[in-house]
Amino acid sequence: MTPSSATGQPGVIHLDETATKAELSTPWNVIVHNDPINLMNYVTMVLMRVFGYPRAKAKKMMLEVHNQGRSLVWSGGREQAEHYVHQLHGYQLLATMEKSET
Amino acid sequence: MIDLRIERLDEKHIRVSGLTAMLAVMLREMPEILELRDGPDASVRLFPNPTTADGKINKEWQQMVNPELRHLFVAAGEIVTRDLTAMTGNQEDPEAYEITFSVEHLSAWMSALNQTRLILAEVHKIDETDMERQDFNPQDPKHVAALRIHLLGYLLHLFVELENGNEPADSI
Repeated sequence: MTPSSATGQPGVIHLDETATKAELSTPWNVIVHNDPINLMNYVTMVLMRVFGYPRAKAKKMMLEVHNQGRSLVWSGGREQAEHYVHQLHGYQLLATMEKSET
Repeated sequence: MIDLRIERLDEKHIRVSGLTAMLAVMLREMPEILELRDGPDASVRLFPNPTTADGKINKEWQQMVNPELRHLFVAAGEIVTRDLTAMTGNQEDPEAYEITFSVEHLSAWMSALNQTRLILAEVHKIDETDMERQDFNPQDPKHVAALRIHLLGYLLHLFVELENGNEPADSI
């Protein structure tokens, strides 16, 4: 495959193809962490709103947060993970993103 | 006993009625508490880092994302502050206050109530043990803060139920 910079097109930035591919193909996990203040039904509602999950799935994740301290609520590309963490912070949930180890 | 009720009056308005004098005072104090969001205690909680280990991403986040988040929180607080000016005592029962606001403000109310609860928790170092405490000492600021977090949380719970399609009512 030809690196994009070889096209000579204006505005195309040369990137190390191998590193970029590895970066893009590594999924990121979005994690919601437990805190003693956020209400259980509020967390469920937020997971339904942000991810569009059905109530049963959102409730299961909420219970995982409550009982185990954290729940992996989504995995995928970095940009989308950032978007979701931003939204979760907007609802005042404790959320982080981390590179998947698998 | 006062019946606390949250209901959709019509397609455009929500009414909260049966608010006790104590809850009414707590609601009126919300704007003042929300002003503490940028303090050293509350800001760490309201504007958390997006990663636990990546300093570069965290720094970029603080510069790029947190200002937008702050704007969102402030806007919600301003909407609720304006709505609160319309809170009235019920003429038939001066202990029962009520407030009506636009259905479009429901998300702002939930945000402001939760911000207030989180700020109180951070300022008073409230942890899980404090939240589960059964005894109450009105002279202890930490106990009073936990009570406020619970009562405002109860109102938030009812708003979430309304959002879920239920018309919650209860007696407190």
